[in-house]
Amino acid sequence: MDIHRLVKMANDIGSFYEALPDRSEAISSIATHLKNFWEPRMRREIIEHARQGAEATPRLKELVREAILTLE
Amino acid sequence: MLAIDDKDLGTPERKSDKLISLEVDGRTVEVPEGTSVMRAAALADIWIPKLCASDLLEAFGSCRLCLVEIEGRNGLPASCTTLAEPGMRVRTQSQRLTKLRRNVMELYMSDHPLDPFECKAGGKCELHKMAQAVGLDHVRYSSSGRNHLTLPVDNSNPYFTFDPTRCILCSRCIRACDERQGTYALTIDGRGFNSVISPGQHQHYSESECVSCGACVQLCPTDALMEKSVLETGPAERAVITTCGYCGVGCSFKAELRGDQVVRMVPNKNGLPNFGHSCVKGRFAWGYATHPDRVRTPMIRKRISDPWQEVSWEEALRYAASELKRVQAKYGRGSIGGITSSRCTNEEAYLVQKLVRAGFGNNNVDTCARVCHSPTGYGLKAALGTPAGTQDFDSVRASDVIMVIGANPTEGHPVFASIMKRRLREGAHLIVVDPRRIELVRMPHVEADYFLQLKPGTNVALLNAMSHVVVTEGLAKEDFIRERCDVREYEMWREFIVQKRNSPESVEQTTGVPAESIRGAARLYAKGPNSAIYYGLGVTEHSQGTTAVLAMVNLAMVTGNLGRAGVGINPLRGQNNVQGSNDVGSFPHEYTGYRHVSDPQVRAAFEREWGVKLDPEPGLRIPNMFDAALDGSFKGLYVEGEDIAQSDPNSQHVAEALAAMEIVIVHDIFLNETSKYAHVFLPGSSFLEKDGTFTNAERRISRVRKVLPPLAGMEDWEVTCALARAFGYPMNYSHPSEIMDELARLTPIFAGVSYGKLERLGSVQWPCNDDAPDGTAVMHVGQFVRGKGRFMLTEYIPTEERTSPRYPLILTTGRVLTQYNVGTQTRRTKNVTWYAEDRLEIHPHDAEQRGIRDNDWVEVSSRAGSIVLRAEITDRMQPGVVYTTFHYPETGANVVTTENSDWATNCPEYKVTAVQVLPTTRRPERRVPEPAHHAEMSHQ
Amino acid sequence: MTVRVYIPRDSGARSLGADTVARAIELEAKKRGEQVSLVRTGSRGLYWLEPMVEVELSDRRVAYGPVNVTDIPALFDADFLNGGNHRLALGRADEIPYLKSQERLTFSRVGIVDPYSLPDYISHGGYRGLERALALSPEQIVEEVVVSGLRGRGGAGFPAGIKWRTTLQTSASQKYIVANADEGDSGTFADRMIMEGDPFLLIEGMTIAAIATGATEGFIYLRSEYPDALHTLQAAINAAVSAGYLGDNILGTGRRFLLEVRMGAGAYICGEETAMLESLEGKRGMVRFKPPVPAIAGLFGRPTVINNVVTLASVPLIVERGGAFYKEYGVGRSRGTIPIQLAGNVKRPGLIEKPFGITLREIIYDYGGGTASGRPLRAVQVGGPLGAYFPESLLDQPIDYEALAAQGGLVGHGGIVVFDESVNLARQARYAMEFCALESCGKCTPCRIGSTRGMEIIDEIVVARDGEKASRLELLRDLCDTMSAGSLCALGGLTPLPVMSALRHFPQDFGLPPSSGG
Repeated sequence: MDIHRLVKMANDIGSFYEALPDRSEAISSIATHLKNFWEPRMRREIIEHARQGAEATPRLKELVREAILTLE
Repeated sequence: MLAIDDKDLGTPERKSDKLISLEVDGRTVEVPEGTSVMRAAALADIWIPKLCASDLLEAFGSCRLCLVEIEGRNGLPASCTTLAEPGMRVRTQSQRLTKLRRNVMELYMSDHPLDPFECKAGGKCELHKMAQAVGLDHVRYSSSGRNHLTLPVDNSNPYFTFDPTRCILCSRCIRACDERQGTYALTIDGRGFNSVISPGQHQHYSESECVSCGACVQLCPTDALMEKSVLETGPAERAVITTCGYCGVGCSFKAELRGDQVVRMVPNKNGLPNFGHSCVKGRFAWGYATHPDRVRTPMIRKRISDPWQEVSWEEALRYAASELKRVQAKYGRGSIGGITSSRCTNEEAYLVQKLVRAGFGNNNVDTCARVCHSPTGYGLKAALGTPAGTQDFDSVRASDVIMVIGANPTEGHPVFASIMKRRLREGAHLIVVDPRRIELVRMPHVEADYFLQLKPGTNVALLNAMSHVVVTEGLAKEDFIRERCDVREYEMWREFIVQKRNSPESVEQTTGVPAESIRGAARLYAKGPNSAIYYGLGVTEHSQGTTAVLAMVNLAMVTGNLGRAGVGINPLRGQNNVQGSNDVGSFPHEYTGYRHVSDPQVRAAFEREWGVKLDPEPGLRIPNMFDAALDGSFKGLYVEGEDIAQSDPNSQHVAEALAAMEIVIVHDIFLNETSKYAHVFLPGSSFLEKDGTFTNAERRISRVRKVLPPLAGMEDWEVTCALARAFGYPMNYSHPSEIMDELARLTPIFAGVSYGKLERLGSVQWPCNDDAPDGTAVMHVGQFVRGKGRFMLTEYIPTEERTSPRYPLILTTGRVLTQYNVGTQTRRTKNVTWYAEDRLEIHPHDAEQRGIRDNDWVEVSSRAGSIVLRAEITDRMQPGVVYTTFHYPETGANVVTTENSDWATNCPEYKVTAVQVLPTTRRPERRVPEPAHHAEMSHQ
Repeated sequence: MTVRVYIPRDSGARSLGADTVARAIELEAKKRGEQVSLVRTGSRGLYWLEPMVEVELSDRRVAYGPVNVTDIPALFDADFLNGGNHRLALGRADEIPYLKSQERLTFSRVGIVDPYSLPDYISHGGYRGLERALALSPEQIVEEVVVSGLRGRGGAGFPAGIKWRTTLQTSASQKYIVANADEGDSGTFADRMIMEGDPFLLIEGMTIAAIATGATEGFIYLRSEYPDALHTLQAAINAAVSAGYLGDNILGTGRRFLLEVRMGAGAYICGEETAMLESLEGKRGMVRFKPPVPAIAGLFGRPTVINNVVTLASVPLIVERGGAFYKEYGVGRSRGTIPIQLAGNVKRPGLIEKPFGITLREIIYDYGGGTASGRPLRAVQVGGPLGAYFPESLLDQPIDYEALAAQGGLVGHGGIVVFDESVNLARQARYAMEFCALESCGKCTPCRIGSTRGMEIIDEIVVARDGEKASRLELLRDLCDTMSAGSLCALGGLTPLPVMSALRHFPQDFGLPPSSGG
């Protein structure tokens, strides 16, 4: 799927949870959201993208990347 | 005329704990204090003659037929305006009364044909019935006297006629317009004998402010105001109670029939939530159901460039199923899916999701709520535990402060608006939050205390600022919060909300709303004592749609405005069954009753009932389906009752996705934009042609009853069953009631719902189960469904869709009273009389700058595309913001909308698109892209 | 030395040339080098003498009238500025018998004071009622009005004190006082004389009503045909506000009463109190059903005292002197004085304020001097267009609510119209129906349709052959019964009064034998 779209969607989710003062709570909330609402092939592709490292474009927010990596 | 089988008790019901006992014609009757003598008599089955009285209207006392004698009182008081008193002894019959009533009736008939054969209602109007009841058989006044028999008939309204020669000046029409509709379009012109009912000032109905709600026609006791359909077809012989198929108010109607023909739709006096009121759509715009465009035969084609080929149901279903199987075999289990519609019944939506989950073996099912109220579901469930409005509609009658945000009830939810306006006229305060000056801001006898005309896309900033005021000014209801909410989360939120960036002063620039107005509105809302929020797609269809819903919950919780009548958070749902289609499991991650597919216990229950293994992973959402289609991993789709090609954002993208699929099955009543990309067309049945239930925005489940046989021979639920069977999954029901029984078995919030109960109660609001056998009007009483209410942090994050020198204006969208959504139905009715095209509303300043004059053709371009429509210059808009409706496919408003979407639900950001508007020599063309002729490629 | 000359600005006097006379006197005085100071007053109500000019001498005011412009040089020649004798000289104004024999309680200042001058009002005993009221409790004020026996002078005759008590006892966040100044009865002008001649009296009466009932806002509903009254009232309200008699803090007592004038739009029915409320609320003037009475749910649904101008103008004296004082005037249950407005075919039309009990004959002959035409009097209509027609034989009827009702008539707003023998009562009866048909608000059927049918039947009766008359007459009686028993308000309910009284007393005018009216 279009990785740009997926990254944007993931980053949008991250933006919401970023407000949480507790970083680990934010990470687990993002991860839960992805697990609950993303169809497996979407999750697969975003995980793959996250694995390519923080610098991979399109850029994932760091918080989001960390959350995605917990999904593995 | 009232519906043929309605009884009218003369004056409205009064509620009181105090009961009064009185005697009418020797019969003792007990009534609540405040009840009229007329109603008390009717309750004792004594029917006092009347013409100006109706239990739908406040007493008026003009016709003088209902005079009675009361022991110990002088004169002959009118029973409609005289209240029952303890120990009162009333006589409704005496020689004196008989003579007086006959003489009054004689006066009426001295200016009206007495012969029932001249009555356009076949002598069935109340006037003729009353003439008979009081024994008037001839008129002594000379026939050469002055009369009104030569006044011209007003035929200007497409749906009804006004014949002033038959009018008796009872003012029921005027009172209906004032009291029930709140439009004040009618008046009496002239005095005394010269008095005539006049729409506006000497206007025709069609030129006046009349909104064609039909209340006047319904309440007219003569043949002066008559539906044209009745005049054409003749008076009805029987009536069937059913539920309107338009908006989420879900009005109860009586479909009146003569033989097998629908004569008219009349709002059901005893039905909830509309109490006998209606709007122009439900009341009159049902003609589409028999429109020649209706498809009556299934059709198939191999390629979308081929012409349609009419086939039998069997062949169509066999072809559809075989293609789905072929695609699934080739591309995998997840390569096909289905879309349910909020237009369909609960039973139909349930079957489609069952077909996908149990038949297709995946969870690729979604519904059009995705593009409207999905943030409502997500937000309300997350914070409160139930993804539904907290109140019943009637709750607004207990509200002291009403905040309307991102909704336009007088256009979108007119019947609820009429109830709300009545409360506002009684003195409730009003806060309107909208980028556009909607009608409610100022209209007859209604004016907003605060109109916060914010910039599109800044709801969250504004709502946060209101909460900021509540907390920092010490207006928070700490007791309520401590008792009902998660205190840790509250503390965390409190710390967040008090920060300076959330103050009205800080967001003044962002929102465009003066800080003082935000403060004033926040104080007013906090003061209540009963403050209610009503909202619509202006809240949800944003990149922060879910955040805004959560921000409203925060505001309601911090002021204690949840859990009783008069308060709450109330989504105004656009479609008749948005709530229901969500309830019955149309989302890809949830089974019925909002339970996640990954929950093993729930899944096991469904597996037992359905006899198959179920996929524990969430499926694709609608926009994901398009993405996956372009990606090549999603190839087959069954769409029931939704025109995704027209209604989803970025039409170009949708069109490409549809073109990339190998089997698209459209199940609808008309060919539409989506069917251009379809290989199978299954003709659907309209709401008049099937049995089922709809669930409105207040969680009310109401029966839809078959009034006509389905035009194409099959009801929609039967079609889905047949498709499932053809696909190889057994699905057998003999009646939709069995589907409801299955749903109830599987779903705790519906456990107590059955057709039998609906028959008995008329309708029922879920949750309906052993704890609440008669249903639940107000939710979260005493405790939130999820336990403790959750305050969630709602940081304002501006949308990425921003204005730029190239796209300096913001386009936002809405709808009008007479048209409905993408217009499939209303465009096929006489409603086009009022609204024949979409227009671009633009502020005079922006128009001036661009050299645009009223009515000029303009081109609206965004980053996604461009459309052409006519401009309407109006100061309803603020400078910098333009607006259009999306009722006509020619407009193709979604050609310009972008793919930005809500972070949580991917609900599209329809309400904010950066555009440029310029005069143009172009003319509108069909803007939804035609299928490119590369269909063969998609079959490779 | 400057001589003060009084000329009415009353619109009745103006229509007879008072303005021209005033200008001419000024010019003539200038020409002759006389120092004259003109004071424009209300009218004394002696309309056959208008324009009546009064000259202030050291101890009295002497009157001349009716003065025509052409008389002015002669008046100067006769040294009228020093009370000189002239053909038009009437002697001391207050000694004119028509005036002297009246008991002017309510109209005591009208024609005497400058209506624009608050000091003039106060120096003539104004605002003493309010001063006393401010020292009393609301209950005590209401009690004085109850004791006085004052009944509504607008026509209905309902005891004012009872109405006030109802409003006082109804608790509400907002209450109103409304003065009904929609004086629409033909031949009546008492309200206008007060508003044009002594507007502070009405303002004071309303202020007292407000303090007595807890109202804080008031409206004067003025008929559009009274532009002069509008001007006078507005000037008086402004003066009262400036002097602290109206506003947020009346005379420093912390009491609040705001007053506004609202103009009607020419509908007779808006003199009916509930139709007036509708009109005040900005709606079409249509009658409301009662109950609820306005005293409990009136203007904008709030408790509202609605009184006629004369009723309210009677209040200051009652409160100042006590209810018992006022009660001493009058007869039976009709207490106090009534300003009778005498008009029609009569030699001396005008305003006659007398205690109840005076007879029609005294009014018409002693004051009115009989018919203006000199032909025999045939009929008198008492109480406005909805009042009964009485024949000469009933002229010994006293003016008394109950006595007139017993004769099928009413006091109404105190208007009396005299007709000589040239009148045709069938035509008058038809006119009553026609008036009702024109002025009906159109709400209730008996009035809306019945009045038109009434006209038609009367026409038919007049021309009907003998054999047909009986059935037409029966229909007219049925119609009148339907209207009086079935109408929503007094307009339709009372229209049968003039009709049936004409039929009863003057059957020959309908082509019936004299005995058949019965």
